[in-house]
Amino acid sequence: MGDLLFNFTEWLRNTPLNDLALSIGESAPTLWIGEHFYAIPIFQVIHILAISASFASVLMINARMLNLAGHSSLEDTTARYLRVIWWSLAVLILSGALMIIGEPIRELINAVFWVKMILFVTAVLFTIWFHKGMAKRFAGKAQASAGAKLAGVVLVVLWCMIMTGGRWIAYNPG
Amino acid sequence: MSFYPEPTNIWESIEYSSLGITIAESTWMFPTIETIHVIALVTVIGTIALVDLRLIGVKGHALRVSQLAKDTLPWTWGAFALAAITGLLLFVSKASSYMINPWFLAKLAMLALAGLNMMYFHMTTWRAVDHWELDPTFPAAAKVAGWLSLVFWLVVVFCGRMIGFTLGIFF
Repeated sequence: MGDLLFNFTEWLRNTPLNDLALSIGESAPTLWIGEHFYAIPIFQVIHILAISASFASVLMINARMLNLAGHSSLEDTTARYLRVIWWSLAVLILSGALMIIGEPIRELINAVFWVKMILFVTAVLFTIWFHKGMAKRFAGKAQASAGAKLAGVVLVVLWCMIMTGGRWIAYNPG
Repeated sequence: MSFYPEPTNIWESIEYSSLGITIAESTWMFPTIETIHVIALVTVIGTIALVDLRLIGVKGHALRVSQLAKDTLPWTWGAFALAAITGLLLFVSKASSYMINPWFLAKLAMLALAGLNMMYFHMTTWRAVDHWELDPTFPAAAKVAGWLSLVFWLVVVFCGRMIGFTLGIFF
């Protein structure tokens, strides 16, 4: 696994992404962030808080679908927490973009970062599918279908993998 | 033969224990425990924030705050236990570095304040939640507890991130 990530990072170094990361690294915003010690930790805190909101919302939808929390209708619970998920995803993308601008080489020339991005896009597409498909059929129902429950669990696993990727960006071999 | 010096205080004794050395010398243990710690902390903060936001007046739904708390609390406590265990394991591996790091000490202080705030709130205002949760606005004490909790946990996260940037620079 370490070798695979190392080779992937080496490959990234030989793509146009390397020039892009270098040019971002010389831009005024990156230089400004580099001169302000607290900028990156603050972006990271915003990023973590946005993940907290997303992940807690995914957990609450799951808890309701799996009957571990039953104080609100399935339709209301899903609608309420999906709203939180979409807003926090917007904050997540913005704070993530600031972190890339702040440390372009560390992020863009990093195999784990791209694995995280693939997982993130998958989670977003999965959430859209859940929102537009599964959740639309919750109206008037007391129980979620087996498919919806499975989709919910998959989302929890995906978010755990995204957070794992986020932490392991710092430990990427290469 | 041990490559580690004789411990001169309790923190070094913890750090040079077999558990501390095992975690510190492993290439994967520290990041793995750290990852579980982050996932647990994210769950704690996310679920607590849902209740805090309700307390300070962010409605968005008709759910009673006591019901919301019942839904979230099992997740909060489960995740908190996991965060505490993993946090302790991370601490053991670098105990002496953590104990001289002001951000780590500030994080501990903030955790204590968040705990005290929650305890005080539950022993006072929360006892009468059945009487005020249907009111259009919550008592000032509930709002203050919600705001304090949000601020304390925000600072916990900030201190936690700052530890990562400063560990090992203090002697």
